Amino acid sequence: MAPTQFVSAYKQLQQAFSARPSDPKKCASLLASLKIALSELGLLVPMGEASLEDMVMARDVLEIGAFFSIRSRDIPSFDRYYSQLQTYYNDYKCVPYTVLPPSPREYPIRGLYLIRLLTQNRIADFHTTLESLPLAADSLTANPYIQHPVNLERWLMEGSYSKVWKAREEAPAEEYRFFVDSLMETIRNEIASCEEAAYESLPLKDAGTLLFFTSQSELLSFAKQRGWQVNLTAGTITFAKKGEEKIEIPKEKLIAANLALARELEQIV
Amino acid sequence: MADVEMKPVDEEKKAEEGKKEEAKEQSAPPLTPVAEIKANVALIERAVSTLEPRFMHRVLRTLGALRKKLDDSVLREAISEVYTTESPTKKTLLEWLPAAPSADHSMDIDSAPAPKQSQPEPVPESEVYFRLLILHHLLTSQNTYTQAMDLAHETIERTQSLNRRSMDPIAAKVWYAVERTYELSGQLADARPLFLAAQRTASLRHDDETQASLINRLLRSYIQFSLYDQADKLVSKTTFPSSAGNPQFARYHYYLGRIKAVQLNYTAAHTNLQQAIRRAPPAKTAPGFYQAVHKLSVVVDLLMGEIPERSLFRHPVLEKALSGYFEIVKAVRMGSLSQFRSTLSKYASLFEQDRTYTLIVRLRQNVIKTGIRRLSLSYSRISLRDICVKLHLDSEEDAEYIVGKAIRDGVIEGRIVHEKGWMDCGGQKSGYGPEVSDVFARRISYCLELHNQSVKAMRYPLNAHRKELAAAEGAREREKELAKELQEGGDLDDEGPDLGEGF
Repeated sequence: MAPTQFVSAYKQLQQAFSARPSDPKKCASLLASLKIALSELGLLVPMGEASLEDMVMARDVLEIGAFFSIRSRDIPSFDRYYSQLQTYYNDYKCVPYTVLPPSPREYPIRGLYLIRLLTQNRIADFHTTLESLPLAADSLTANPYIQHPVNLERWLMEGSYSKVWKAREEAPAEEYRFFVDSLMETIRNEIASCEEAAYESLPLKDAGTLLFFTSQSELLSFAKQRGWQVNLTAGTITFAKKGEEKIEIPKEKLIAANLALARELEQIV
Repeated sequence: MADVEMKPVDEEKKAEEGKKEEAKEQSAPPLTPVAEIKANVALIERAVSTLEPRFMHRVLRTLGALRKKLDDSVLREAISEVYTTESPTKKTLLEWLPAAPSADHSMDIDSAPAPKQSQPEPVPESEVYFRLLILHHLLTSQNTYTQAMDLAHETIERTQSLNRRSMDPIAAKVWYAVERTYELSGQLADARPLFLAAQRTASLRHDDETQASLINRLLRSYIQFSLYDQADKLVSKTTFPSSAGNPQFARYHYYLGRIKAVQLNYTAAHTNLQQAIRRAPPAKTAPGFYQAVHKLSVVVDLLMGEIPERSLFRHPVLEKALSGYFEIVKAVRMGSLSQFRSTLSKYASLFEQDRTYTLIVRLRQNVIKTGIRRLSLSYSRISLRDICVKLHLDSEEDAEYIVGKAIRDGVIEGRIVHEKGWMDCGGQKSGYGPEVSDVFARRISYCLELHNQSVKAMRYPLNAHRKELAAAEGAREREKELAKELQEGGDLDDEGPDLGEGF
């Protein structure tokens, strides 16, 4: 059984976390001490047999930690909590191990992780994670926490960026909003690269709407960052032409390939 | 060969397979199961004594067919005929079978006459072979699963403690049976540590057969539980033995294809699945595997933006299994989102069962891309509004983004003219450039590799060159003798050169 001071610290953390507005400093210090306690009790990465209540408590601490690190915008720390929680979510639900009751925070956290992968444009990881969710594939859309990232990914992939823009306010949990900014950054870069390829020039105003900028100065600094030529008098942006670059014939490669071919033929004949 | 049948084949398919095999047997000279087992044991002995694994493989090839003909009395009779003397091995083997009814017993006495007594104890390989047969037999009925589990563990220990290289092919099969045991008793996840440990031992002992079998076992177990991360790590940390048999390679490529497809690496997945198809046994022998690979390969083809050939869906083995996929292919080909959506919901449970649902959902963007490509080919200029209507998109704004993305991804050639609200479609690129030589080089290297591998795969009979050597040796001897005679007999001078030239 867990020592009493651990239990009381856990209770304090729960209070501090659910209080409105929550007390970030107190949460941080409590989390730090609780994590030490967890590792001393061998619950940080659970090995062997621990009692059910202890494990539920440990899981709660980690979950609160995950949410807390998002609130304090500490993404690497969120990643750490997520991978620690993996054991609790994936391994402790079938017979040889202790069966934990499902946590109400499990899917919000999984959903958050999915969004985090999206914002980094790690689409392959996104799909791998999605595939390993313990849900039937056609019920993915029934879970609001999972449905949100799934829809976002679909819109991103097919290019319906305006839908992504509109959906940013419809997040199923408060924490999802923390990712909106970085997500917007991602899609702006996506749109920008599309525009470079698809347009020769664009009126400033339209470019602003396409990129979801509300003020012209934001647009101008973004244009400068990407190296676009802005013509302020005509009010247009001209994109640097690509695609006309000269195609070089890779002589050495061709020669090497032909020589290898000749050698192989020699071997056969 | 039936070894490659995918394990989750449904009953119907199994029955079908069974029928086919029966038909085959009727044409072949009938051989009683007991006689077959005895012949196999003899082959195993030969394999061990000549160190020629070919015979062992021949025995194991019949395993699939033999498995269906086993029952208690067949096994008992075979064991008592092979093990004529009372040995502890015989006793332990017989312990796994229910006691014989007394009528059978008298027959046993008749069929085991005295003259065989002098026969030496069969090699341990035969013992493990019997264990394998008993294990497969125990797995046919639900009541004996626990017994099968015990036997499986004991057999593993036995093979590992014997540590004989001639045992490897059988050991690989034993591992398959072990996995099946765990799966049937619903504890597949628990077998993983066992497999991992055994895999390590096998790779240390350079036991390629077992290693190949175990890697496949592990991959399958990971994929079954959707642990693609772990599966991917296993693949990157191990090297699949190149000497493994085709069935194992086919499986390995299939699992690799699955992992790659999930990770969006469709080109690699496509290559792996092609390999799996090529290495798999003929469609009629292992329909389950053939269907499973093709299902996945159709989806991967679509994800790469290619349309599978029509003839594929007319294949007798595949026609029924792929019907749902055929509908999807049609929808993608038409570029019709509404048709795609309705097909997806209609066959959702089927795709879910095949574990391709999430992959098929990804096709949505391909449907749109195909639609755009069709439009760009048929119009030289089209307004965004029309695109929106034709592709059933939600708004013109979306259409603009989608077309922009399609242009950037290189799906179409063209420009958007924002002020006028239309898309100018550019002409097709001329298909000539350095990439042509790349494609050429790739194809040629494939052909060359195929040639080299088939040369490597040629088999020569062992010691066949000895005869030639002996003949050459003899000729040389004769020549020497002749030269000697020539030297000695100086009076035969004028005939000498003639004789010499004759040789």
